[in-house]
Amino acid sequence: MSRFRSYLSHPFWGSLLVLVFSYLGLKFGIGYLLPAVGVHSAPVPSSVLLQYMLTVFVAILLYVSTDEERWRAFKQPIRDVMVDPARRTMRAVLLVAFPVLAGFVTYGRVRAEVGAPPSLRSIHPAPPNDLTFRGERIRLTSLQNPLRESGLLEERVRTGGRLYVQNCVPCHGDRLDGEGPAAHALNPVPADFTDNGSISQLTESYVFWRIAKGGPGLPVEGAPWNSAMPVWEDILTADEIWSVILFIYERSGSRPRTWEEAEGTGEGDEG
Amino acid sequence: MGLQTPWLIAVLAALLASRRCWLVMPALLVAGQAAAQDVERGEAIYRTWCQDCHGEDGKGDGPAADRMLPRPRDFVAARYQIRTTASGALPTDDDLMRVMGEGLPGTAMPGWPNLSDDEKRDVIAYIKSLSPFFERETPETLQRSVDPGGGPEAATAGREIFERLECDRCHGRLGRGDGSSAASLEDWRDLPIRATDLTEPWLFNGGMGADAIHTRFLTGLDGTPMPSNQDALEAGIVTEQDLWHLAHYVASLGPEREPDVEEVVRIERRETLPGGPDDEAWESVRAFYVPLIGQIVEAPRQFSPTVDGVWAQGVHNGSELALRIVWDDPSNSPDPEWQEWQDRIAATLYADEVEIPTDPLPDLLFLQFPSEVPEGRERPYFLMGDGRDPVYLWLWHSRRGAVEARAAGLGAAEALDSAGSGLAASAKWEAGQWRVVFRRPLATEEDGALGFAEGVPIPVAFFASDGSSGETGGRGAISSWYYVVLQPPTSRAAFVAPLIAMLVTGGLGMFAVRRAQRSVHSEGRG
Repeated sequence: MSRFRSYLSHPFWGSLLVLVFSYLGLKFGIGYLLPAVGVHSAPVPSSVLLQYMLTVFVAILLYVSTDEERWRAFKQPIRDVMVDPARRTMRAVLLVAFPVLAGFVTYGRVRAEVGAPPSLRSIHPAPPNDLTFRGERIRLTSLQNPLRESGLLEERVRTGGRLYVQNCVPCHGDRLDGEGPAAHALNPVPADFTDNGSISQLTESYVFWRIAKGGPGLPVEGAPWNSAMPVWEDILTADEIWSVILFIYERSGSRPRTWEEAEGTGEGDEG
Repeated sequence: MGLQTPWLIAVLAALLASRRCWLVMPALLVAGQAAAQDVERGEAIYRTWCQDCHGEDGKGDGPAADRMLPRPRDFVAARYQIRTTASGALPTDDDLMRVMGEGLPGTAMPGWPNLSDDEKRDVIAYIKSLSPFFERETPETLQRSVDPGGGPEAATAGREIFERLECDRCHGRLGRGDGSSAASLEDWRDLPIRATDLTEPWLFNGGMGADAIHTRFLTGLDGTPMPSNQDALEAGIVTEQDLWHLAHYVASLGPEREPDVEEVVRIERRETLPGGPDDEAWESVRAFYVPLIGQIVEAPRQFSPTVDGVWAQGVHNGSELALRIVWDDPSNSPDPEWQEWQDRIAATLYADEVEIPTDPLPDLLFLQFPSEVPEGRERPYFLMGDGRDPVYLWLWHSRRGAVEARAAGLGAAEALDSAGSGLAASAKWEAGQWRVVFRRPLATEEDGALGFAEGVPIPVAFFASDGSSGETGGRGAISSWYYVVLQPPTSRAAFVAPLIAMLVTGGLGMFAVRRAQRSVHSEGRG
């Protein structure tokens, strides 16, 4: 035990241990341990992991080299392996192992498999100024949901709910979280209306545009060829779409962005 | 509420007759109120989250119900499929909690993690109040024997039980839901019901794994043709052990978990291509699972399609490509035995459509590709392209084989004029499964046809229609864009670069060691 402790206090073995623990912590701690205790997190990509590990390595070198004695102690095991006649076997093994490892890593890199091209899709592309809805020209800028002024709001929300459940649930889900029974087969995944970055960032006119024109109506930066969002103007009337909009805001507990808020910041630029 | 009231009055009356009534009465009144509130609170939650499918009165007839198969549960009739109680009995509260928590795989019923356990209990109190049956009986979980364990022997023994109990009559010889009576199955509401495909356990309503399967054997699925085996057990037709063996056999028919989905279908490079749909060489080629969902983007829509996924595998040899697509479909359409089923599905699911097909329809499979390998990001629309950017199709028909076609929109496919690029297909339907092999030379001169390049991602999307479920003219099951990548021949660089890396690393290592040793020697001398 005491021998183990003396190893730990040795600069070389201590540093090695720090490196190993940093690796484990960054690789598994952030991605898997944090979510297990309820903190929102995701695995660290390998390129970022490499950056972190380099930082840790440099920090270790700085630390061990600040003190002459520590630096000598740190170098000792490395030097021993290189020169000590008693460590011949170890030396030979390492001299073979390192090149083999390097060759292996290089082979993996060179032979890297062709993956799917990256999807550089803009989630909220800039909307047009106006659109043609079933032959009728509608100006989107400053457009408000006409049903909010019509009274009978509760009734309209109920209509919207009925239409939502008949048409939207397979993808956007009963809970409006984009996890409907068909969502697993879609790429890109359906929008999650309960997410802060979703409809609460948008004006109702924007949402109207997205519903009316669907995937095929997206500009090129929205990758219109990928989205399975139907062109709802072919199926629903304008009033029906507006009532669905009322419903999704009401049920998700979010508030549409107003034109005053949208002005100046330039809606849709966030992409 | 209805249950508690008479009981409360009786207890209160008894207490009033006794002398110490003033001590207990307030507590009892509070308890009665709390129970009533449960139902009220539950109803409020029900109105928000449940009634659009399960209906205003709980009869399973909400506005979304008509497009679903199976239909939502009718809480008034109170026939529950997924329970731990005896056949014909009601579910326990725990059973209902489990379903509300996890949902029912393979159906439109999701889990409800957004509701707390207390809220779920309130909803359960409410849906129980919708049926008088819950007042009359207290459901109890069936006692089950201990699992003697699985393994190949248990599965082999289970296979005999499968035959003895004639499970194949509905589920089919290999369990793919294609049994001889599969075309005539109906539930208690006289609606058509599909026999479960036992090779896709991740879609089992009651969950996967031998334990869940065994529970279904004992309880049966009330309201469906799936019976309970409790009577057979009591009559000595099967033993406890038999049912466990059967459960392990059924579990062995499918994978242990839902297959992973990858965006890229890798096409291996080999000297010789596998042959027809049953060539054993296909066994050694990796198969990629692609989940499909109902085509609900454009009319005519299909919310509950037959096909829920395809397996794609491929091999090329530098000049020709062979792709095998395998999917489960209980009927080899058109099949007169399934004609009645086709009509019933149409009446059940397509009632709101203007034209309902009545002819016997074929099974169809479309493989969509762009008409050339895309250079930038732009691709055709994933659902059969559009006028601006049409797709190149492999269109397979269960009776006519495959043709090359182009499409500029759903239902707008046209066969290519000439002989095309030499596409050939061979297909086989067996025991509830289609296996179709496409072969085509990689290069082509044909206008509108895609030339397959090696080592680049080529978009591909799938579309499958089951004729016996009236799927035609755009009705069917679709996927979004995936990619095929033809493995390029291994380049020389793949061997040279690692060699250089090894030489450099080794050389530097030797150099460092030499230097270190020399300095030690000179120190020693010095």
